[in-house]
Amino acid sequence: MGLVRAVRDIRTIKRLLTGAEQEARSAGEEVPGPEHLLLSAAALPDGTAARALARVGTDAAALRSAVAAVHADALAGLGLETGPAPATSLAAPAAGPMRTSPQAQQVFQRAVELSGRASPAGLRGVHVVAAVGELERGTAVRALRSVGVEPEQLLAAARAEDGLPA
Amino acid sequence: MADLPPLPAPDDPEAALAAVVALRRLAARLEADAVTEAVEQGWTWAQIGEALGISAQAAHKKLATEVRARRGR
Repeated sequence: MGLVRAVRDIRTIKRLLTGAEQEARSAGEEVPGPEHLLLSAAALPDGTAARALARVGTDAAALRSAVAAVHADALAGLGLETGPAPATSLAAPAAGPMRTSPQAQQVFQRAVELSGRASPAGLRGVHVVAAVGELERGTAVRALRSVGVEPEQLLAAARAEDGLPA
Repeated sequence: MADLPPLPAPDDPEAALAAVVALRRLAARLEADAVTEAVEQGWTWAQIGEALGISAQAAHKKLATEVRARRGR
């Protein structure tokens, strides 16, 4: 790996993880999951994740709402109406080493793996999108399905966006 | 007390597990809100821990930073 690419990847990783943490905390969650990585990837300056989402007819704002709706619907299924008010965001700044859910770690590691095969090489948001597209269940998948996107469609869109091998 | 609808059927684990995730989030939110209010009302961490069924140290470690941040804003 060239030094220039290594430095760029480190910047991307920092942006991606910091963004995921902010997404999680503003939704009242301490630990980011795959859905927060996906939302953070969509905001990366390389623009590839946002374009892959656009290919399947969605965007970060729609997915953010879908994540909240998925949780609200699950509670409604138990007879708990939490109302339209958004979850209270955590007020304290994140402290200590960053933690992520095991699934978010898996997505991150897979994205890094995919970035090594990409041409041009280097981690981009679309690699996170592809890794999320390989998930089968969990909040991210439920949120995607609620906006009419199957994970396989997201994976295909990510591959088309980045020229990844099928 | 009103009858709650039945829990998601065990033959639909996907829905049942999604409900567990949503309940955990709701419980965390309720806990942070309630502990902040308790501190506002002058409760000690020992009293909060007792009410939550955990040690004072565990309650403090888990929530003190968040409570401080909320009270400061």
